[in-house]
Amino acid sequence: MTTAASVSTVPRTSAATTGGPATNRWVGLAFVSPALVLFLVFIGGPFVFAIVLSLYSWDLLTPAEFVGAGNFRTLFSDPLLGKVLTNTFLFAIASVVTHVVGALLLALAVNRAMNRAVSYFVRTAFFFPFLISWSAVALLFKYVLDPTFGLVSHYLGVVGISAPDWFTDPHWALPAIIGIDWWHTIGFTFVIMLAGLQTVPTHLQDAARTDGANAWQVFWHVTVPLMSPTLFFATIITFIGAFQIFDPMQIITQGGPDNATKTIVMYLYEQGFQSFQIGYASAVAVLVFVVIMLVTVVQFLLSRVWVHEQ
Amino acid sequence: MTHHDRTLLPPGGGMNRRTLLKGLGVAAATPALAACSGGGGGAASEGSNTITMMYNGDATQQKAFKALFAEFGKVNSKIKLVAQGIPAASWAAFSNTVATRIAGGQVPDIIQIATEGQRLFASKGLLTPLEPFIEKDRALVDGYLADIDPNLKKWNTEYASPDGKTYYMPGGYNTMALYAREDLFEKAGVDLPDKDWTWDDFRAAGERIKSKTGAFLVPAASGYFTDVMPWLTTNGASTFDEQWATPTFDSPEAVEAAEFVRGLVEDGLAPKPGGTYDAPTQMKQGKLATLGGGRWPTLNMRDLDMVDAVRIVDWPTKTQNGSPVGWDAWPITKASKNKEAAWEFIKFLISKDAGRFYAESGGTIVPARRSVAGSSAFTDDAPAGSLLLREAISYATPIPSPDRGAECQKVIEEAWLTIVSGNGAAADVLGSANDKLAALV
Repeated sequence: MTTAASVSTVPRTSAATTGGPATNRWVGLAFVSPALVLFLVFIGGPFVFAIVLSLYSWDLLTPAEFVGAGNFRTLFSDPLLGKVLTNTFLFAIASVVTHVVGALLLALAVNRAMNRAVSYFVRTAFFFPFLISWSAVALLFKYVLDPTFGLVSHYLGVVGISAPDWFTDPHWALPAIIGIDWWHTIGFTFVIMLAGLQTVPTHLQDAARTDGANAWQVFWHVTVPLMSPTLFFATIITFIGAFQIFDPMQIITQGGPDNATKTIVMYLYEQGFQSFQIGYASAVAVLVFVVIMLVTVVQFLLSRVWVHEQ
Repeated sequence: MTHHDRTLLPPGGGMNRRTLLKGLGVAAATPALAACSGGGGGAASEGSNTITMMYNGDATQQKAFKALFAEFGKVNSKIKLVAQGIPAASWAAFSNTVATRIAGGQVPDIIQIATEGQRLFASKGLLTPLEPFIEKDRALVDGYLADIDPNLKKWNTEYASPDGKTYYMPGGYNTMALYAREDLFEKAGVDLPDKDWTWDDFRAAGERIKSKTGAFLVPAASGYFTDVMPWLTTNGASTFDEQWATPTFDSPEAVEAAEFVRGLVEDGLAPKPGGTYDAPTQMKQGKLATLGGGRWPTLNMRDLDMVDAVRIVDWPTKTQNGSPVGWDAWPITKASKNKEAAWEFIKFLISKDAGRFYAESGGTIVPARRSVAGSSAFTDDAPAGSLLLREAISYATPIPSPDRGAECQKVIEEAWLTIVSGNGAAADVLGSANDKLAALV
């Protein structure tokens, strides 16, 4: 009775105070308008502008010239495009795998019964690097991995290993930055995983154990399926973030050596603000949008196979 | 554009998939282009007697500039100067930043433009010819041009005037020499010459210093002006021909220079490149015998209380004396609505008083006026041998700066780094780099 009475009064009260559906619509619009304006000014507008600019040749300083699809034709015949896309996909895939697997393992470890103070300390410690700016992290690792004076080179030398030239050897530069990125951003994925892990109903795990499942079987057949929405979210977010990686490459290696760390967004920046080929850079931006969209769509389609909604 | 973007999304899912796709996809495509919109900071309005200018400088350099601007305010109280310091990592980067701001509507009245950007800016039709102003103050300008090195005057026409008109008043410059810590040479029993020492002498000195003191001889980095050009020019090489039209980066002399520097790294006389090497601090700690630089390391020496411990010496030579040279220049933009006031400021900059004041207050360049560069304003509280920086302009090579200078610089620095870090044979790497440079010009 009480519930029914409450439900019946809600629409009446709402209509009385807002003046009906038409007014509701305006009020709603008023609420979203700040966000809408920001979206149009900083995302929607530049997005449309980028598409338009991709059809022009413009060096910033002299008038733009319409070239139609010329920038895209040049882009797809650019010998560097394959290299930067390969670098970007390598970085993104490595980032997704190492972040998701690493963060899941860390979350499992931290989620085990342990002293509460220790648990909070460990969580904070893992998350802390994420709060540091990329600039500071990049400079820090230039010191840490310095081939002559760096801590890593020193301690590897102590155990008889000759450290590679992390940032000047084309074979090591990208792996080094993948490692730095992992250290810097694993905390975010870790927090997502920990939150997801804590939503897994323990009674289902207990039931599995009661039925004789061992630890691995509980993890693989109960925990992972129940965490699959979290894993999916982490995968999407990590991929999109990784695909747009720019800061560490720009600060540490400037895309070198021999373009070994040049990513697609860095290439976009170089074309736009070093070569002053704004139209061409816009074409690259459109390509970045399309690639991320396609990969995300594929991920969503694949998610129907492996993501289990609770 | 970084993983920080992840924080824009709520953790744990729950977002509508379509919204997620749209939001993230759109955000992905828009990274740099929003910066194209401008606003504010442009040339001052007509009749306001306010002029705006952009200059390159980190915090230390901005301090000296601000003192100079304050001095201008004292002698020209009717003109208000609004100056924007841009702490760019290189002159090419500074030129790019200024060009981007101009595209965004921020056109200043005056821009400090170094060699690396002078031809580019003049060729884009952004600057106003200075002839009418020069004519009006002929005596002052003639006096100034008579006091600067003839090369500077010649290069201002040769490299910064695509159509024969005068767009710039040349300012101070920088050449390259070595700052040498004398006590390390003494401990090693090596005489430190002011000049006339060869690469072989230099290397032999380094070997003795390394064995006697453990200190490195010299850093081996890949800065175009600071690390590449000194070795090239002292072997009669350069990155481009004199017209900056044809790359010469793969000449046998350039290959020899790169191999020499690589040899210093291989033999432990120079630290491996690729990390963060604070040369002035290392020198202060007695772990580095020499470091290259123009006037700017003098400020480091002052800060580290090492002015009396170091001496400036010529760069060692292989076939000839050599140094790159780059110079500031001051143009008035075509969009300026206060050209007369802007000219007043340029007149102030080229005056002897301003040159002296800037040199005394911590300027990081060699004053354009020889009379100032040879005076106590420049040599007081500076390492012995500072005058060698002034003299180097007589044999120096203008830093080759084609229109696509920033891209060329990147190619040159990457190639040099590849060689000195031991990741490629000098002839192959420079050959490949030369092809890239040819494509850029």
